[in-house]
Amino acid sequence: MRAAGLTVLFAVLLFLLGPFVVIVAAGLSAGDTLAFPPQGLSLRWVEAVFGMENFRASFLLSLELGVGSTLLALLLGVPAAYGLARYRVPGREALRTVVLTPLIVPGIIVGLALLRHAVVPLDMPVTLALVLAHTVLVVPYAVRVVTASLENLRTDVEEAAVMLGASRLETFFKIVLPNIRNAILAAFILGFVTSFNQVPVSLFLTGPGITTLPIDMLASMEFVYDPSIAALSALMALMSMAIVLVAERLLGLSRYV
Amino acid sequence: MFDNRRIGMALAAPAVLFVALAFLLPVAVLLSGSFTLEAGGWGLGRFTDFFAEPLYREVMWRTLRLGAVVTLASAAIGYAVALAIVQAGPSWKGRFVGLFVLPLMISPVARTYAWIVILGRTGILNQAIVGLGLSPEPLRLLFTETAVFIGLVQLFLPLMVLSLVSALENLPADVVPAARVLGAGWLTVFWRVLLPLTREGLVIGGTLVFTGAITAYITPAVLGGSKVLMLETLLYQRVSVANDFVSASVIAVILIVMSVVAHAVLKRASAARGR
Repeated sequence: MRAAGLTVLFAVLLFLLGPFVVIVAAGLSAGDTLAFPPQGLSLRWVEAVFGMENFRASFLLSLELGVGSTLLALLLGVPAAYGLARYRVPGREALRTVVLTPLIVPGIIVGLALLRHAVVPLDMPVTLALVLAHTVLVVPYAVRVVTASLENLRTDVEEAAVMLGASRLETFFKIVLPNIRNAILAAFILGFVTSFNQVPVSLFLTGPGITTLPIDMLASMEFVYDPSIAALSALMALMSMAIVLVAERLLGLSRYV
Repeated sequence: MFDNRRIGMALAAPAVLFVALAFLLPVAVLLSGSFTLEAGGWGLGRFTDFFAEPLYREVMWRTLRLGAVVTLASAAIGYAVALAIVQAGPSWKGRFVGLFVLPLMISPVARTYAWIVILGRTGILNQAIVGLGLSPEPLRLLFTETAVFIGLVQLFLPLMVLSLVSALENLPADVVPAARVLGAGWLTVFWRVLLPLTREGLVIGGTLVFTGAITAYITPAVLGGSKVLMLETLLYQRVSVANDFVSASVIAVILIVMSVVAHAVLKRASAARGR
């Protein structure tokens, strides 16, 4: 039974992770067309990808968007999580539900709604709409991860600090913040990865000139048959893996997923 | 717990207002558009028009079907895998769980693109099929429902596995040996002991997989193309090709209703589990 179980487990892992091996190998191909097994190994297409102007621009936008919207989401989400976890706010559950609803609504609808009812009527720049959309998407992660961490933190230390004369602000920065630091870092990583990999939310808010890396890749797939997209996919996969492995070591990220 | 309500509200207000203005309001306006009538006033006319179109009915049906099949397949594979992980012993368990978390953090675009290399006309699978003499010429594997199915299972299976692992972990260690000692076969153990005791985990995993599958965009877009449309790819196509915002908002309502219903189920299941 155990041997059978392990066989199934390895077969499934092959199914889940095998495609990465394929994409990395295909990206390292020395040939001119996308193929597996690759026609000889080289870094030719990896180098080529770094030289492609469009991918560089969309990578930078994705990076800025990921960092910017995640920071904004934390700025909004951390106080909200703290306020709703520690103060007797009327309608607490309802307010928390409001902040978490973006998780339920498919991203493509958020993008379409912002395009139709913010970008067009208000003449809003698309980049601002992208920031709004990505921030909306990340806020629930920030609130959820920080709330979970606050619930595990005993409140009597804070109450003691307040009773001993610390101001509310001092209590938060000196007592609470050091204790939830790891959760905030985990929320940042989770938020950044979510934003960076996001496609549906940005579909209607990008176009030629202003586009994110995953959408640029999707669009290029239709006419690019050389291994460059495979090389790019491999780079993205390796980047995510590196982030996740480091985060797992430092923070135990899988607790928060 | 502090009593000062005003501080609490002031802390929560920016996030709540932001989500309300940048998200709830525009989405509500978008959705309300689908309940207006061309002649003015309110009604469900746009929905009946939508469902009168055979192509749209087919897409809706395919989306639900793929969602169901992907969920069932993930559940079946998920149980086998989760049992093996739980039995592997504590030091291995953490590593295996990590291997299932890892793919979740990798770009779905990169994950899906790999299947083009595998399933394409000159892909590795077709090379094997032709090489083994199973077919004289390469089969059309891409842009089929099967390709979308494979891509979706690969994308969402980890969610099922992780839910089932945590459900199985909470199981008392001796229920399975006890049932075995009392003479139950493995199938009986599964149906009569494991399945009822891990039902909430199954519901949680199932809801995550189902909502993920029916609202997927990248997989049907890349592996299905315009031949195998699902609701999200249809929505995108209606807007980008035909500027048809009416059908788009109807599809948006359908997607949100399905998603909200699934999450209500999820919430009840996780409340039952006391999380």
